[in-house]
Amino acid sequence: MAARTEQDVVRIETRWALAMCGVVLVILAAILYASLRIHVNPPSNVELIDPKTLHLSDEFTEANLGTRVGPDGAIVARIVATQFEFVPRCVVLPAGRRVTLRFASPDVIHGILVSGTNVNTMVVPGYVSQVHTEFQKTGDLLMPCHEYCGLGHSQMLATVRVVPADRFKPDADGRVSCEQR
Amino acid sequence: MVDRVHISDEERALAEALREAPRGALALAGAAVGLLLLAWFLIFFFVFLPRGTVT
Repeated sequence: MAARTEQDVVRIETRWALAMCGVVLVILAAILYASLRIHVNPPSNVELIDPKTLHLSDEFTEANLGTRVGPDGAIVARIVATQFEFVPRCVVLPAGRRVTLRFASPDVIHGILVSGTNVNTMVVPGYVSQVHTEFQKTGDLLMPCHEYCGLGHSQMLATVRVVPADRFKPDADGRVSCEQR
Repeated sequence: MVDRVHISDEERALAEALREAPRGALALAGAAVGLLLLAWFLIFFFVFLPRGTVT
């Protein structure tokens, strides 16, 4: 397209600006489609908890951490992110079933991601982070802390062990741990 | 009475080049943005969506 006058230049630039707005809208539409139709959203749970008494809370006491199947069949893994480890360091979850991961931190801001999946959330003291997902592939997935939390941050790792659904066998309390064989 | 402005050959050549410039700029910018958009969609469809639902 040749520009014969300054008006031509303005017209060309205006069309380019409109085209770029169109590009942005296409990308936005793809993100909205993923969010609304396929349910891929950033986790946005807002739930408060006292970080100073996490160990005394009903939910995040050490005995209640890890994977548990509730009376309603809901599979929930509860993990505490602290400087500089995840407690427990390994959780077992089944593939092909909806699971919930809940995180809390008693000290500083951490972040988690489960490698190879879209599970990715911050863990902020004072809040419970919650992620629902369904793992498709089995195997040991690495879950590092991805928010700098101090000198030991690079060593802060956990394992999410995704097992086939028929090998996911809770005990009498509904608990499943990595030590079970 | 206004004298006609004398336009040199150089200025005429420059004006001619500038008239053609948008075509080259559009090609370059269009290719760059097009490649970026393609890369975005490739990652969206082949990496992001296969990694499963998260809510």
